[in-house]
Amino acid sequence: MARVREISSGRKPLKRAYVAMFLWFTGRAIQAAAKADNQVKSEFEALPENFTFSLGCLPDGPWMVVGKKNGVVKYLGGKLPEKQHVRLAIKNLDAGFLILSFQESTALATTRNRLVTDGEVPYALAVIRILDIVEVYLLPKIIASLAVKRYPKHWSVARKLKGRIAIYTRALLGL
Amino acid sequence: MKVESLLSFTCPVKMNSGNKVLEGLPFELAGLNAAKPLILASPNDTPPKAIKILLSAFGDSKMTFGLFDGIDEAEDLGTIEYLKNICQKDRYDALIALGGRAADAAKVLNMTVSYKLPDARLLTAETTINKPLGPLVVAITAGATGLETSSLAHFGNRVYRSEYLAPSLAVIDPRLAVSQDAAAMACSGLAAFARAVEAHGAVPENPFRRAYSFAAIRFILENLPAAVSNPGNRKAALAVANAAAMSGCALADGGNTGLHKIGQAFSGTGRGPAGMIMAMALPYMLNDYKVNGGFDLAALLHPLADDDTFAKTPESERADAATDIANRFVSGLQKTAGKALPRTLKETGLPGYLLEDLLETLDAGPDGARLCSVARRMWDGVSPDAKKG
Repeated sequence: MARVREISSGRKPLKRAYVAMFLWFTGRAIQAAAKADNQVKSEFEALPENFTFSLGCLPDGPWMVVGKKNGVVKYLGGKLPEKQHVRLAIKNLDAGFLILSFQESTALATTRNRLVTDGEVPYALAVIRILDIVEVYLLPKIIASLAVKRYPKHWSVARKLKGRIAIYTRALLGL
Repeated sequence: MKVESLLSFTCPVKMNSGNKVLEGLPFELAGLNAAKPLILASPNDTPPKAIKILLSAFGDSKMTFGLFDGIDEAEDLGTIEYLKNICQKDRYDALIALGGRAADAAKVLNMTVSYKLPDARLLTAETTINKPLGPLVVAITAGATGLETSSLAHFGNRVYRSEYLAPSLAVIDPRLAVSQDAAAMACSGLAAFARAVEAHGAVPENPFRRAYSFAAIRFILENLPAAVSNPGNRKAALAVANAAAMSGCALADGGNTGLHKIGQAFSGTGRGPAGMIMAMALPYMLNDYKVNGGFDLAALLHPLADDDTFAKTPESERADAATDIANRFVSGLQKTAGKALPRTLKETGLPGYLLEDLLETLDAGPDGARLCSVARRMWDGVSPDAKKG
């Protein structure tokens, strides 16, 4: 007769590395965009002091934590703080890979029940708007259109170009 | 739509269907307060690839789980007793069944473990099941029986029935729904079709049941031919698996289950899947319902035809139109599948002595005489409207 075998779940190092890398760069890009883009700046200004949010995968990360202290937005690394205002949790690493490799837009992933939001809905929506703007800056139009619900048509070429240069430079240098 | 003054319907199954839903299992199990599941699979109806896909879905979840891939056709309560002891010793707190046969075994095991029965071999069909059981997840595979989501468990020659036997969650992932076997796909779809047809016309009418049966019939009509001609078609195979899951839910409140009984009795002989015989029996059963009444044949036209055709057809002609569409659909699939879907019991190679056993099994129920008459006519394919023998 067959016997019960006890098995430990394996790892997915490549997907994990991709998601971690993406979140690390996006976190730094949000910090940069808060200085370089007026819309992101005003979104953060509307959020309370010491506001902290995280985006990542359940059950064990990777995570991206961004916070605002004394009016300055900072990427706080990949370790979840004890308290935070908004947590956007993707239910598993594979779903995270689908979303962050642009096979599914955030809106589609939400309708497919792949995300959990902990925290106030208005704050979560502000975070989503910030993420959308940052993705538009970071990605070429053809890919960004897959990632965001509606690609902004009204942005001038100058805004995109200046913003991209500023955000990429600041994100790479950690400014 | 008429609403009965009193109706009840229980289907406690949560369904997750679509791309990569298997990867959501660790999250769903956490929601069910389970951290260490035991996976059950049958080597006969689950390809090794399906087990591999399920195991890889747990990647990066940091979970430990057990795997037992030895659920065999013998459906022995000794195996359940062995698994019960393992569950208690190693503290497995949830069950995951991969495929139809494993789902039946998992339901019986769940009952044994949750009720802390001293010995699984003491289980009988009369065992009272009146308390909720532990978390059970079923993963629907290609060739689904449709009973995975139902409140029934067929194990050995026993049938257990309780709303508590229904799983907490059914996951339907296209990677598990596709197959290489067109005949298995056809049988799975036809079993779902037959069950849904019978549930839809059952009286008294129950709008909750009809919600499931309506969707199941439409899914099958629109997708089964494509899934049979190409069982690797992910979209069509996923729709058939969804229909199978819905047909199981439509069985929740009992109703007419003649076709289901014939199918289960036949599959008990080991001569083929239930869907094959249910498709064969469908024209006979529909004809019997037309002659004897007690079944709302006219209501069947709505899911079987489009909304316009249903509206345009006078009420007095709806029953005939529905029967005609259902029979043509089944006959078309039988023609496509060729020898894989025989049209008479004789063509299945069922020996005479097994037919007698089959008739004896059918005769045991309250509607036994009617079902035996159907089975006799199916033996050599007597025209469905010929005088009953």
